[in-house]
Amino acid sequence: MIATIAAAAARALLGRRRTVLIVLFAAVPVLVALLARDRGPNATETAAQLIDLLVIRAVLPITALVLGTAALGSELEDGTAIFLLTSPVARWRIVAAKLVVAAGGSALIAGGSALLAGLVVAVDDPSRGFVAAAVVGVIVGAVVYSALFLAASIVTSRALILGLIYTLVWEGTLASLFAGTRLFSVRQYVLSITDAIGGGSAHPFGDTLDGATAVVLAAVVLGLGLAVAIDRLASWEIGPAD
Amino acid sequence: MSAGALDSIVLDHVSRWFGNVVAVNDVSFTVGPGVTGLLGPNGAGKTTVLSILAGLLRPSSGRATVEGRSTWRDPELYRRLGLVPEREAVPAYLTGEQFVLLRARLEGLDPGTARTAAQRALETVELADVGGRATGTYSKGMRQRAKLAAALVHDPRVLLLDEPFNGLDPRQRIHMIGLLRRMAAEGRTILFSSHILEEVERLAERILVIYAGRLAAAGDFREIRRLMTDRPHTVIVRSTDDRRLAGSLIVDPAILGTELVDGHLRVRAADYGTLARLLPRAARDAAVSLHEVRPIDESLESVFAYLVQPGAGR
Repeated sequence: MIATIAAAAARALLGRRRTVLIVLFAAVPVLVALLARDRGPNATETAAQLIDLLVIRAVLPITALVLGTAALGSELEDGTAIFLLTSPVARWRIVAAKLVVAAGGSALIAGGSALLAGLVVAVDDPSRGFVAAAVVGVIVGAVVYSALFLAASIVTSRALILGLIYTLVWEGTLASLFAGTRLFSVRQYVLSITDAIGGGSAHPFGDTLDGATAVVLAAVVLGLGLAVAIDRLASWEIGPAD
Repeated sequence: MSAGALDSIVLDHVSRWFGNVVAVNDVSFTVGPGVTGLLGPNGAGKTTVLSILAGLLRPSSGRATVEGRSTWRDPELYRRLGLVPEREAVPAYLTGEQFVLLRARLEGLDPGTARTAAQRALETVELADVGGRATGTYSKGMRQRAKLAAALVHDPRVLLLDEPFNGLDPRQRIHMIGLLRRMAAEGRTILFSSHILEEVERLAERILVIYAGRLAAAGDFREIRRLMTDRPHTVIVRSTDDRRLAGSLIVDPAILGTELVDGHLRVRAADYGTLARLLPRAARDAAVSLHEVRPIDESLESVFAYLVQPGAGR
């Protein structure tokens, strides 16, 4: 059942113009990497800067936001979700199927962006190891972000704006001012997990959370996001008649 | 109206409000097998009632059940229920075939059975020959039928249809009426909404009249039709001497009032039949010639407004 719904969701996603735009957007870090290729002696540092600035701060959250809110939110908005919701499918299965597509798509696009951009600048073994770690971090981030934005899209029709505020204001501005906000920042989980995997000595992202803490927090946020999504979908109401 | 074992749909003192707006106000009814029409003007609360029955809205108070199950937060309900929503609920990128097949798979049918069921449903609504086209290219009538095919692909016991005749041409209407009658004859419970009296008249054995969120009348169609015909009527009369005619009319107790306005006479009578008999007699007695007799306030709105008056419809 999950496969049936996921296949339909993937189809819907592929047919959208914004999916094409997102793929083009994800190519930007790769292009920048090609330009920045022979600058700087320290490959790991260049790769880290590139991936942090362009992929983890921009491509990853934007891709997850667009796919996460499109997977179910846009159907709820235009009414086509009714045919899905009036079927005897447990609501957790619907949420799971939509998450598989949103998270899978985001992981593929943002992870691919990190991998290609990283490999262009990574010329030695330690820097390649870092790129591999960053890809894992980005994939984890894609799953957590998608669950968060999927839940938001069920709760409110303003999920897109809300998601932008979360990534730009909370994760962007406030995180640099107040260290405490890092505990509830998907971006920080991505950085911390990358650092933890990236291997003992090299911590290009510096001041991050402990790897284990980041994994636990990411799992908690994922679980909460899914719980809210499933419960709110079960209680989802059609808007008042026009 | 007691909830018998045969009633597949039960609404028990259901109200629903959106903020300060009361969309449905303390409505109770039961519906058994056969075709029942939910009649009311636009904005009366028909869609809200159907959405509550389809589990897409939570009743603010009261309880709605379909085949004995509460409709709120119960996906298993949809094994027995099919909904044809008024909204365009067809993903435009799917072909009619893919859409109905997807619905069949969502209902838990295995791939082979689902394919057969989808094909049968498309044939039932006469869409089989355009099943390969994307629903985005369909006319409104075709989309309406695609929604119906999707709602009946799992052969539900209860079928809810919100304004199913919208967008259908006359031939498609007749086909839809035949189809719904046939499905009802097979023992299903069919509840459809409409704001057009004639549609309800042609199809429904039983009707529920809803007006301004309240149930105005419920019962056999002929009975309600009689209530509608027997209600007070107002006609506009022009004659050679309106004043004399008024004097001659008003002596009869069946005439509720006469009024001279804008150069004609307004006559309000208790019911239409009496007025039709009285008017020529009064004109003859007063030696007045009638130029024109024209009924006013014939809008469905006024009929509904009359039915919700205390004591009118029950």
